[in-house]
Amino acid sequence: MGSGYALLAIGFTLIFGVLRRLNLSYGPSIMVGVFFGTFLFLQFQAGWYAVLVATVLGAVIAGAYVERLCFWAIKKGAAVASMVSSFAVWMQLEEAVTIAFPDRTYEFPALGDFELIELGELSVRQEHLIMLGIAALLVFALHQLLFRTRFGLAVRAVSEDPDAALFMGVNTGRVIFLAFILASAIGGVAGYFIMATEEVITPKFGLQATFKGLIAMMLGGMGSVPGAIAGGLLLGVVEKQAEWYAGAVWRDIAAFLLLFVFLIFRPGGLLAQGAAARDLAALRRV
Amino acid sequence: MDDHVITVLNNIGGFSFIALSAYLLLLSGEISFGQQAFYGIGAYASGIMTAMFGMSFWLALPLAMLVSGLAAALVGGLTLRLRGLYFAIATLAFAETIRLILVATTWQVEVDGEPVGPNGSEGLGNIRWGFDNEYEPVDFLWMIYGTLGIVLLLFFLMERSRLGSIVRTIGADRLLAETQGINVTRYKILVAGLAGAIAAIGGAFYAHIQTTVYPENFDVMLGVHSLAYGLIGGLGTAVGPILGVLLDVGFLEAVEWVQGYRMIVFGGLVAVLLIFMPRGILDERRVHRLRTMLRGWRTETHGAAGN
Repeated sequence: MGSGYALLAIGFTLIFGVLRRLNLSYGPSIMVGVFFGTFLFLQFQAGWYAVLVATVLGAVIAGAYVERLCFWAIKKGAAVASMVSSFAVWMQLEEAVTIAFPDRTYEFPALGDFELIELGELSVRQEHLIMLGIAALLVFALHQLLFRTRFGLAVRAVSEDPDAALFMGVNTGRVIFLAFILASAIGGVAGYFIMATEEVITPKFGLQATFKGLIAMMLGGMGSVPGAIAGGLLLGVVEKQAEWYAGAVWRDIAAFLLLFVFLIFRPGGLLAQGAAARDLAALRRV
Repeated sequence: MDDHVITVLNNIGGFSFIALSAYLLLLSGEISFGQQAFYGIGAYASGIMTAMFGMSFWLALPLAMLVSGLAAALVGGLTLRLRGLYFAIATLAFAETIRLILVATTWQVEVDGEPVGPNGSEGLGNIRWGFDNEYEPVDFLWMIYGTLGIVLLLFFLMERSRLGSIVRTIGADRLLAETQGINVTRYKILVAGLAGAIAAIGGAFYAHIQTTVYPENFDVMLGVHSLAYGLIGGLGTAVGPILGVLLDVGFLEAVEWVQGYRMIVFGGLVAVLLIFMPRGILDERRVHRLRTMLRGWRTETHGAAGN
């Protein structure tokens, strides 16, 4: 589960890193994508690649809608307005999906029938191993993209200082839009693999995805990709432990309590160093 | 008035309290996603006192406000260091923790041979104070709007007082406030506590009208709605958040054709409104202009009478 959280957190952190604004509609956009995928599966018995493509596509389209309405259209300096507006769009997306898919739950195609792998006393689901592998692959690709290409350079420049980037001839609006699309696509992949292991989806998935991604990102430190991975894995481990020792309700209590305690004692997150201090400085201006 | 209208009006009144609570924090420069926790604490605390221990609502209400206000002040104290998004997320985490703990808690006593008390996700039922004392929804209507009137009056007094300008100064620029010799820490905790107590009033009324409350009533949707009310209605005056509630509950409830698509319409409305008016309909500039207009009109009529 941790790797799925990590992927969600990376998407979050990418948007936050570039925009210094929070996109609460991130989870719901992924949910739209997931329902896109399940629609193809239920109507046409589409194969896993078609479902994956549809999921990513749906998430990207919904993400683009959110970016235009809540971030591009709202003036700089109104970070709160953006956040509330993205919440309003969340409501829209959730209700649109509920109207289009009136049943409470839908089936989502599983990756396939896998046996449990026994590792000594531990048994591991192969789906989880695949998810971990995909997550590692995506993180590697993202790292290459951010640190080896012109686009990556532009993204990092905008994240560092949007005004300076603008003076250097970077089309900030376009970079932000593309980063948003990229984050939505990563979210789509994460959503696909999380759903393929859970095998049932509900419109509530949007809420869960936003919360888990948000918690994992803040645990790791906002706007940092390694932090997002660390935060995602930490969250996954803590949730599983809490569920094991105290029951299902305590799983979520542990997640939120962990976040609250972290914010009080270590607001910059696990990797609180220069980057987090800069975030705090940026937030003070917001 | 028919029952439906009364229910809608009661809802508007109840939500106004939590909207005002979020508004007070917005004035001091904090965005809270967690005011629903104090609404919930108000509902549960007052419900427990009247249903389980047979207290009068009029005693339970101030006590619930006290409990909720103290909890809010504590959270406010803990989160002092945090600003902006960090504060918003911390309050959200707190509120969700409270809600989930309510889901996990069962504590019942026997009243008239029946078990009464919080029962996990089954909620807290049998809050019969209104029923036992033969209070009709109309009576609650008067109680809610009477209390709301008092709270609004206090808000107007506060805005004209030293406290009001201190809160707005802290909201505009914390550093400036500090250099003016304002004890920011003390005022932040005070504002957080007051906001918690105000939210608790709404929760207490809600519990006694519904007679059963569930933890899921106090989820993040409620919190963000209350925040949105202030932002739509405007941050210039305490009437702003109430205008926001009216727009949402009143308008959308009254117009038939939006029923099934309520969130799509409301969500779109909020998103578009925020593009053009990031500080709401009645923001500081418009309030100031309205006041000047009103004053000009008043002196004109006075002048005419004098002649």
